[in-house]
Amino acid sequence: MLGRREESLWHMIAAPTVWALHFCLCYGWTASVCARTDDVTAARVGIALVSAAALVAIAVIGWRAWRQWDYLDDFDYEHDRPTVEDRREFLGHAGWLLALVSGIGTLFVASPALFIESCL
Amino acid sequence: MTDFAGSLPERPRAGEIEDAMPQGIYPPTEEMLNEPVDPELREAQAARLRAVWAEPPGWRYWSAVNNSEVGAWYSLTAFAFMLAAGVLALLMRVQLSVPENDFLSADRFNQFFTMHGSAMMFLFAVPMFEAISILLLPAFLGARDMPFPRLSAYGYWSFLIGGIFVLSSILFGVAPNSGWFMYPPLATEAEGPGSDIWLLGLSFIEVASIAAAVELIVGVIKCRPPGMRINLMPLYAWYVLVVGGMILFAFPPLIAGDFLFEMQRSFDWPFFDPERGGDPMLWQHLFWIFGHPEVYIIFLPSIAIAAMVIPTAARRPIVGYSWIVLSAVGTGFLSFGLWVHHMFTTGLPSMSLGFFSAASEAVVIPTGVQLFAFVATLLVGRVRMIQPMLWIAGAVAIFTAGGLTGIMVALAPFDWQVHDTYFIVAHLHYTLFGGMVFPIIGGVYYFYPFFAKKKMSDRLGKVSFWLTFTGFNICFMPMHLTGLQGMPRRVFTYPGDIGWDWLNMISTLGAFVTAAGILVFAWDLLRSKKDQPFTERNPWGGGTLEWAHDVPDLGWGARSVPYITSRYPLWDQPKLLERMDAGRFYIPDAPEGLRETVVTSAVDAVPQHVARITGPAWCTLWAAAFTGGAFIFPTFHMYPPAILCGVLAIATVIWWLWTSTAQVPEAPMKDAGLGLRLPTYVSGPRAPGWWGVFITMLGDATAYASLIFGVFFYWTARPDFPPDNATHADPAFAALAAALLGGSWAMTRIARGVNRQGDRRTARVLLGLAPVAALAGGAALVLAVWWPGLSPATHVYPATMWAIVVWTCAHIGVGAIMQLYCLAGSIFGKLTPRYDADLWNTTLFWHFLGVTCLISAAVIGLLPRVL
Amino acid sequence: MMRRRALLALLPILLLSACGGVQSVLGPAGRDAEVIATLFWWMLGGAVVLWLLMNGLLIFVSRIDRRPYSPRAAEALIIGGGIVFPTLVLGILLAFALSEMPRQREPGSGLTVRVTGESWWWRVEYLPDGASDPVVAANEIRLPVGQRSEITLNAHRVIHSFWIPALGGKTDMIPGRETRMSLEPTRAGEFRGQCTEFCGESHALMAFGAVVMEPEDFAEWLAKEAEPATSPATEEARRGAAVFRAEGCGACHAVRGTAASGRVGPDLTHVGGRVSLAAGILPMTEDALVRWIRDPEAVKPGAMMPGYDHLPDADLRALAIYLEGLT
Repeated sequence: MLGRREESLWHMIAAPTVWALHFCLCYGWTASVCARTDDVTAARVGIALVSAAALVAIAVIGWRAWRQWDYLDDFDYEHDRPTVEDRREFLGHAGWLLALVSGIGTLFVASPALFIESCL
Repeated sequence: MTDFAGSLPERPRAGEIEDAMPQGIYPPTEEMLNEPVDPELREAQAARLRAVWAEPPGWRYWSAVNNSEVGAWYSLTAFAFMLAAGVLALLMRVQLSVPENDFLSADRFNQFFTMHGSAMMFLFAVPMFEAISILLLPAFLGARDMPFPRLSAYGYWSFLIGGIFVLSSILFGVAPNSGWFMYPPLATEAEGPGSDIWLLGLSFIEVASIAAAVELIVGVIKCRPPGMRINLMPLYAWYVLVVGGMILFAFPPLIAGDFLFEMQRSFDWPFFDPERGGDPMLWQHLFWIFGHPEVYIIFLPSIAIAAMVIPTAARRPIVGYSWIVLSAVGTGFLSFGLWVHHMFTTGLPSMSLGFFSAASEAVVIPTGVQLFAFVATLLVGRVRMIQPMLWIAGAVAIFTAGGLTGIMVALAPFDWQVHDTYFIVAHLHYTLFGGMVFPIIGGVYYFYPFFAKKKMSDRLGKVSFWLTFTGFNICFMPMHLTGLQGMPRRVFTYPGDIGWDWLNMISTLGAFVTAAGILVFAWDLLRSKKDQPFTERNPWGGGTLEWAHDVPDLGWGARSVPYITSRYPLWDQPKLLERMDAGRFYIPDAPEGLRETVVTSAVDAVPQHVARITGPAWCTLWAAAFTGGAFIFPTFHMYPPAILCGVLAIATVIWWLWTSTAQVPEAPMKDAGLGLRLPTYVSGPRAPGWWGVFITMLGDATAYASLIFGVFFYWTARPDFPPDNATHADPAFAALAAALLGGSWAMTRIARGVNRQGDRRTARVLLGLAPVAALAGGAALVLAVWWPGLSPATHVYPATMWAIVVWTCAHIGVGAIMQLYCLAGSIFGKLTPRYDADLWNTTLFWHFLGVTCLISAAVIGLLPRVL
Repeated sequence: MMRRRALLALLPILLLSACGGVQSVLGPAGRDAEVIATLFWWMLGGAVVLWLLMNGLLIFVSRIDRRPYSPRAAEALIIGGGIVFPTLVLGILLAFALSEMPRQREPGSGLTVRVTGESWWWRVEYLPDGASDPVVAANEIRLPVGQRSEITLNAHRVIHSFWIPALGGKTDMIPGRETRMSLEPTRAGEFRGQCTEFCGESHALMAFGAVVMEPEDFAEWLAKEAEPATSPATEEARRGAAVFRAEGCGACHAVRGTAASGRVGPDLTHVGGRVSLAAGILPMTEDALVRWIRDPEAVKPGAMMPGYDHLPDADLRALAIYLEGLT
């Protein structure tokens, strides 16, 4: 089902999937901690841990996608030829860009833990 | 030369019958493509194809299922509903033009704004995407039709019936009047059938929407022309793929919410009643988990139209193809992290609001990338200001304004001020007019020569554009200020001494100017063009496959399905048109007299299969009518006719499937042209039908997950869930149910294996026992909650348990019918060891159902003890 | 083009006239509203600049007689305009908003006001620091200037939302939940608040007066508000009080110090002292009172209060005089 990495759409969307999981975990964790205990430190520490893990995962995915894109090899960013190589590089390129945006998204979503110090 | 490396299936196990596999030469060589076609043969082929794809004559026209007919009906119906909803808006603007006006009564005004929002969203914006996609997608992909044409027709008739039902309620003064968001307790307690009309009528339409989404996704991943690898797909297809996926995950939570809501309305199960442990906030979550992605479901396809128009206007390929894919996929994901920004004022913890505020800002990034990619393409190209580009430019002007106010309202503290004021009304109309209405009208001007083979008027187009554009700004620009001056939304009147009067008067004037612009457009669209000559084949000089269609239209889409090597084949592949017309490419003939299209692999578009697709039929219309009855009668608490309609609907659908899908072919392989032989029947993951089931079940699983989310939501939000002295479900019955249903699941899977090995008898015995076990399991599940006496009307805890059981049992019923369908297929020769697609699909359904059943049994049997 | 320019010229006029209203976000009289108004002006400036840049660029690139640019320059535009610039700007805005959020939600000190949303009016209870019994009022919020007051919110049947634009943001009132907010007025004055969550037929007619007072004036007012009703002073008013009793108004309305102790409708103990009638819809005048009592349905469709059009004009007038005298 998942297929080989260089020909799989699922690998392309791995980074935003990590973002989505990170988002759900942050939201679910905060909701339950603030509803049940009011312990905001626990909420913030949890978010920090989840965010660190998510960023590492996205970095790994991004690095692999970058390798698949292989930009420095031929400086191709169009990928518009009907070849296996262009398809592979295209999926890598799109996966890399998605990792970039997912990384920014993850940082954004983690930022409330930095600024907000209460469950109110 | 055979190059099927990418598409090799798993090796069949010993003793299993092997699937037919593609044989011959692929990809075709230049030599083969250069070989001329015998003119006589060419004519004979064309005549056969024309006969197969001819639209039914006379009154039978309405039994057509071809995408060009259904797509056109669908778009025109959605446009008509839009005009109706627009009239409601104008009447509301009249009421608000002066303070303390009594043109409309409070109740009528409330019905109008509820219907305006509901109709624009459910009857115009989303269906319009589906309509246009059904109309255009096969052409973009050089396909003959959608993979499941009768499903499109069924979706259309459902939409028509449901839409007329919902809209006409306004004529009888019983329309829903609690806002398009239907917040309980207001909407659950509303008197009259209004809320039920909304819930049941629109649920019916949502089901049709999901059907269309399934079909569009399968269309994109399985029905591309040979050679159109994923990096060569037209951008529109990318957007369809993303939006289809979003519909799958966004609509089901609302369907689950509708289900709970209707249970409360009809049977007083207190899901949203705080006095019996319920919580109105659950609806808000479920509604907006749907509601926010929905905004992007509307926006992305319209932007996709822009992505098709802009390269043509710039006379060069799009710049930043990967960037646009990033932006479509990224927006699709991020849009699911925004829903609480509709709930910023509900008193959730600041931290939670912060996540949604952050995600709402983050989604600006992919959206911006999208716009900059368009600008970049124009920058690199030599732009020709064709009429559709004017609308796209207007769209960008309006949409950027809406996007910039969007950045403002995404900041929670700013939203606390402007939430539910006219500032938001302005913001959302800027995004939707700029992000949807303008690109769609631009798209109509652009694609009109494609589907009508005539051109619309440039002059009327300009008049319409400037009227709509200025009118829109006159109407909605002042609303920002009206909102900042403190005027709330959804008010039927306002006092005259607060400084809102003249702002409202200006808005009303602007609304009528906008309406005039839309009317000019409508006239240009609908006026008779009989005397006008046909356009040339590719009037704008576009590069994508839709412009390869014949003038006048011949129904078959592509004369032969081409081999594609470029993103813009009409620009880059010389002789493409000539070869397509000559029937040089794939399936140029219809010797069996069947409608066919080529199915290819998901990523590299290697040909896999010639799919037989369904032709004209009345059963889709009947199925839609009966389904409609099953949804509409309960609105008036007429349950016996509703049940009758439900049974008839199921019977019609079974008849439809039995007579036209997964038919045993006359031969396992056929010559597809260019030296390639392709199977005429495949089962399992290579078959579009299997993908259809898989994708449908993803959506269904999302709805079920929403119900389970509801249980956990109550647990976190309510201290009395479950209440201290609650009666719990019987764990023994729950365990029995799990065992029986698990058994039925296993039997189905084993039946598939033994049938493949040729042992029909064992397969039949298993398929006979499986539904018995399934129904017994369902009964045990009911007993688990009925025996201990859980009374759903007393408290939300027993109500959720019952809701899970009802939901699961409804699915068990479908699962049992599917098992029996396979049994009947095996007995009557429709399902054989080699031709077993139905059994594959049933097994796939049961994989989802089996997991659902086990979770249901665990949640009702074990969960109370864990909590 | 001309039309757009005309619109732009109109804009400052529109904006200048905007700031005055009693229900305006742009005429702030509270700490939170001031921050948001300032934020808005900054964001508006930025938005106008960005809008002009984006559409200027679009007009430029659509020009026919222009030399095509290189794809590299175009990619740079996507990266710069699509990723780098928005990430920075949005990051700054987000940081500001996130740090502002807890400040606006700080718990209040001193006074707590408990407001309950009804269909379609407001039950208001004042709980000064340390008080055990609330001072009950309705359809009007009074707050002392210069301190952050806590506001707790409930709803009776359906969801409402509590908003005084001049003072700060809104918060929903949800049945079965208690939500909260706090407001810190910075200048005294009379403002207007309104329900902003659609709550049924007469949602449009659910407003209230919001009066910000100097702390000592507020203390004086609250002390007076806590007292029972003044007895009717004139003959006419006494006759009105009799009508009030005879018609059974006390079954729904309370007038403290009399037998009337109903809890269904608004407390009328000091109704005459309020700035408006019928939840911010009518002025507090004798005529308006008569109009309201005679036929509430005509003023507020769907209102729970029955009409008293069977009463002779003189009785209605007396009743109005009695109520207006309850200051």
